[in-house]
Amino acid sequence: MWSQESLKMSITAKLHPILQKLVGGQEVVEVTGHTTGECLADLESRFPVIKQIIRDNRGQLRHYCEILVNSKSTYPEELTAPVKDGDQIDVMCFFAGG
Amino acid sequence: MLTKNDLGRYQRQILYPDFGETGQEKLKQSHVVVAGLGGLGCAASLYLTCAGVGHIALIDCDRVELSNLNRQILHYEEDIGEKKPSSAAQKLAKLNSSVEVTRVFKKITAQNARRIIKGATLVIDGMDNFSTRFIINKACVAEGIPFIHGGVHGLFGEVTTIIPGRTPCLACIFPEVLHGELELPVFGVTPAFIAILQVTEAIKLLAGFGSLLTGKMLYFNGDTMDFTVSNLTKNSNCRVCGAKRV
Repeated sequence: MWSQESLKMSITAKLHPILQKLVGGQEVVEVTGHTTGECLADLESRFPVIKQIIRDNRGQLRHYCEILVNSKSTYPEELTAPVKDGDQIDVMCFFAGG
Repeated sequence: MLTKNDLGRYQRQILYPDFGETGQEKLKQSHVVVAGLGGLGCAASLYLTCAGVGHIALIDCDRVELSNLNRQILHYEEDIGEKKPSSAAQKLAKLNSSVEVTRVFKKITAQNARRIIKGATLVIDGMDNFSTRFIINKACVAEGIPFIHGGVHGLFGEVTTIIPGRTPCLACIFPEVLHGELELPVFGVTPAFIAILQVTEAIKLLAGFGSLLTGKMLYFNGDTMDFTVSNLTKNSNCRVCGAKRV
């Protein structure tokens, strides 16, 4: 359960283009949580289809997805990195085709 | 030194104020490696040749197949079965005989990547899989050679320009070792479009003008015709260009 304070936090998730179609074309979605994992869980609870793209069947982030916080890599803590009010999470996927 | 023929051939781009004869001369002195001759590499090498890059090296280990022809615009029906570097080089020679084109029919590996790109002014990413991109990324960092990354999927594409020592490299953004080969959906127009953005970056970088996609990933969404940019920062612990380099 998130505290009242956390519910007021403004964290934005900027979605990779391939994910935007799954959230009605939005590039940026407001999310809630104290960590990147909580924010992703919030996003996935509202848009469950995203989970199929970014996680494997064990719930781990797929190897071609990466989470940035304020443009910085969170590796190897993609699902546990702390976030605070005003942060931006980038959910990135790698386009491998050529 | 530009010849009379060069001045005539490249007249319209020499008119561009930030480019001029000096920019054209810089292109003529440049050596660009195109790593991969699929959808990206074909379109990129075509426009590098048009622009008058002096020396282009074409690297690929595959032969032309029927399923390539929806996007790999330098390979024709008569080329099916032909080595891709040879097929591409033949067309480029007809387009601009003053450009030196080297054909390398070889698989890029961790062992030979640095040797293949050594001496290049920059490398264009024309590859179609995770692992070879990361091999070339590492080789470019080791050799200090700029690397213009492009990647596509369906009607989506991405571009960033990597300058070793100055910008994040691919492994700063995707630290895990990526592997596997996927047969991805792709329209011909997507790699063509992304390759043209890569060559736009190459021309500016080689001639020294304009702003580059350094520290930025530009995304193209052909489904909605939107462009978006994600800012990127160097990862000080990067396994390729940072403290944890191996």
